[in-house]
Amino acid sequence: MMRGTIIGQVWGARHVAGLDGRKLVLVAARDDAGAPTGRVVVAIDTLDASGGEDVTVAFGSGARNVLRAGPDNRDLLCDAAVAALVEGAE
Amino acid sequence: MFLGRVVGSVWSTVKWPEAVGLKLLLVRPYCLADLGAKTGGATGGAAGAQPTDDLVVCADRLDAGPGDDVVVAFGHAARVAMSGALPAGQKPNVPIDAAVVAVVDRVELDGEKL
Repeated sequence: MMRGTIIGQVWGARHVAGLDGRKLVLVAARDDAGAPTGRVVVAIDTLDASGGEDVTVAFGSGARNVLRAGPDNRDLLCDAAVAALVEGAE
Repeated sequence: MFLGRVVGSVWSTVKWPEAVGLKLLLVRPYCLADLGAKTGGATGGAAGAQPTDDLVVCADRLDAGPGDDVVVAFGHAARVAMSGALPAGQKPNVPIDAAVVAVVDRVELDGEKL
């Protein structure tokens, strides 16, 4: 998983069917010191995170499990999803 | 997934049968600095925003073209995205690991909150 901050949101009317109704957020990754690494990912957000919020992003099958717990979730189109809203880190 | 700009296309004649008919695009991912240079949420040619990282070759069935901003998915999600273009009942066995899943109309940034 990755730790990062929501920096924005993305919209596209032309999208594949699997993304219907999904909220896509831009997440800027942070390193262990909390500084932005420069990497930006697009993640599906089901937790209604807002701009500036710190989150964790799950990738791969872990991301699908955020949308619907497995094992029968291989039909989902999801390779990155907001898994948690971070309240603190040490 | 990542946000990037289509900068070109790739084609080939020698490939696996499962890959026949796939349109392949070259996409340059945006990094944080690129997004910071964008203003007002406009995309698709915002002045001064030049993406940087390595190029990614990805399959496309949304008819995206050079200059378009797109969202690209990796791995199994990419094969799921392309499976709609396959005959009914066929599993997503296309030999790809990246695909365009959305052509971006609008990006809204909360840069000052970072």
